[in-house]
Amino acid sequence: MTETINKPIIEVENLVAKYGDNVILDNISVNIFPNEVTVILGGSGCGKTTFLKNILRLQEPYSGNIRFWEEEVTQMDEMQFNNKVLKRIGMLFQAGALINSIPVKDNISIPLEQHTRLPMDVIDRIIKTKLHLVNLSHALNLLPSELSGGMKKRAALARALVLDPEILFCDEPSAGLDPLTSLALDNLILNLKQRLNMTIVVVTHELASIQRISDKIIFLDKGKMLFNGTLENAKKCGIQAIDDFFNAEKHTN
Amino acid sequence: MHFLDFHFFIDMNDHIRLSNNVLYLSGELSFNSIDLMDQDIQHLIKTEKPITIDVSGLVSIDSAGVAYLEGLLDAIKLYSSAAFLQGIPEHIKPVLKIFSSSEVPKEEIAEKMGYFEKIGDNLITTIQNFNLSLVMAADIFFWAFVGLFDHKGQRKGSFAQQGLILGVQALPVVALLSLIIGFILSLQSAAQLRNFGANVFIADLLSISLVREMGPMMTAIIVAGRSGSSIASEIASMQVSEEIDALRMMAINPIRYVVVPKFHAITVVMPILVAFSILIGMLGGLIIAVGYLDLSVETFVTRSIEILALKDILVSFSKSTFFAWVIVIIGSYFGFAVKGGAEGVGKATTNSVVASIFAVIFFDAVFSLLYL
Repeated sequence: MTETINKPIIEVENLVAKYGDNVILDNISVNIFPNEVTVILGGSGCGKTTFLKNILRLQEPYSGNIRFWEEEVTQMDEMQFNNKVLKRIGMLFQAGALINSIPVKDNISIPLEQHTRLPMDVIDRIIKTKLHLVNLSHALNLLPSELSGGMKKRAALARALVLDPEILFCDEPSAGLDPLTSLALDNLILNLKQRLNMTIVVVTHELASIQRISDKIIFLDKGKMLFNGTLENAKKCGIQAIDDFFNAEKHTN
Repeated sequence: MHFLDFHFFIDMNDHIRLSNNVLYLSGELSFNSIDLMDQDIQHLIKTEKPITIDVSGLVSIDSAGVAYLEGLLDAIKLYSSAAFLQGIPEHIKPVLKIFSSSEVPKEEIAEKMGYFEKIGDNLITTIQNFNLSLVMAADIFFWAFVGLFDHKGQRKGSFAQQGLILGVQALPVVALLSLIIGFILSLQSAAQLRNFGANVFIADLLSISLVREMGPMMTAIIVAGRSGSSIASEIASMQVSEEIDALRMMAINPIRYVVVPKFHAITVVMPILVAFSILIGMLGGLIIAVGYLDLSVETFVTRSIEILALKDILVSFSKSTFFAWVIVIIGSYFGFAVKGGAEGVGKATTNSVVASIFAVIFFDAVFSLLYL
């Protein structure tokens, strides 16, 4: 029902991604809708992260069309893409990707200082509230090297959220985290969706996390999209690769 | 409208209004709008001293808006001792709640270190670094000695590989710089010697200065910049990526595995590099001696050799070996002592080069005093 009422916030059409002659993504077409958590899942090396990198143009797609808010982005120059897309989205990288040479608060203040003209006291307050949001208030003045893996990820999430993005992309947010931290992160993602109407795209293969947060799932296998829909439907779809994936995940969990 | 109402009614723009000590904000309070409203609002707070902010007209607010609103309430408290927020619309309540800083714990401000305290702290750190580097030097010497007889704990072929990296690959840069230094040194001296008709002494001067001072010192500085930095960065990267810990967990001594091959290799190649540097430096001098001072090649070569005593050559080579050890020890020390990630590797490399060059020049002065 939602699909017929809402216009997609991201539209991907016939996306092909290649490394040299290797086809990593083969003709992927998918729509992502607002105020939903869309989970991209699949086994290791199926092209999940490449998909994310291609739609965000961290890697240029080989061919295909990508539209954000109904605007084609593959033909945009860097400046246009920055202003029309990147300033309205946040990205949480797999390992956090914090800048190691500066403290956490400076990492978070980068987008605020570069893209807004807010007074310094407002910037300070925003940094503190965003760090509090990810339960990391005590790490304000610490260097990234002084943080644990989970703390780095939360600090990176605070940085991704600092400009109140309309879409949040998360690359394996729960990877390497203990179940409690992972649960807290999932709750935070749900909170952001419910309270701030954020659209969230998550790349993961952790079944527990998928069950908690997903509205839709996109299943990739060997560069092809095998399924796009709800988790319940995915479990009932009868596609062998998907069944194998869920069964294997059940056993490992 | 009542006269008093009229008196206290100020309409700054479409979104800011002040009436009866109430500041009315409407429209959008966000990252994009705050900058446009801030000046007018601050002016009103200072001049009219409102005590309440009414946000019933706000259409939307984001985290910047919430932070700004809280800042305004704090500012109002400064002027009016009390501040109130009223008319919060239902649709912005969740945003206010999620981005409110009321539950953010107060930041603990670290006590600032005084000027003399900082000097003392730096001095203590330097002394500690020096002591630790001595401990590491002892460790390296011990394992280097053991490694002469027992090659266990070292990778096969690492001595030859390191000899190639630290020695052979350094030859072009050593040759080029030595040629230029020999050339400049003799050119500067030649102008003075010519005034006194002492042309022939250019060979003596160049031979003594290159063998005793410039050869070992300049080569050591080049090696410190080139190989010392690579030793420090290699070990620091290994430390940061837990490769050193992995070696320890495999019961392999990292000094023996990583440092000793470098130590052996540099001990062998450094005197060769210095000899090469002296020869090329003399060649640079020969160009000036023959071309500018009209000396014959034979005279230049004969005098250059005759003036040298065995002691000069021994001092030169012992210096060069000592400098090589200093460079490896300092590079290894800063590599192992790295803290942090990629940033730490950069700092370790820089510190190692600075400390190595300082140590080379310092010990060169000590050698000069000991063997005048």
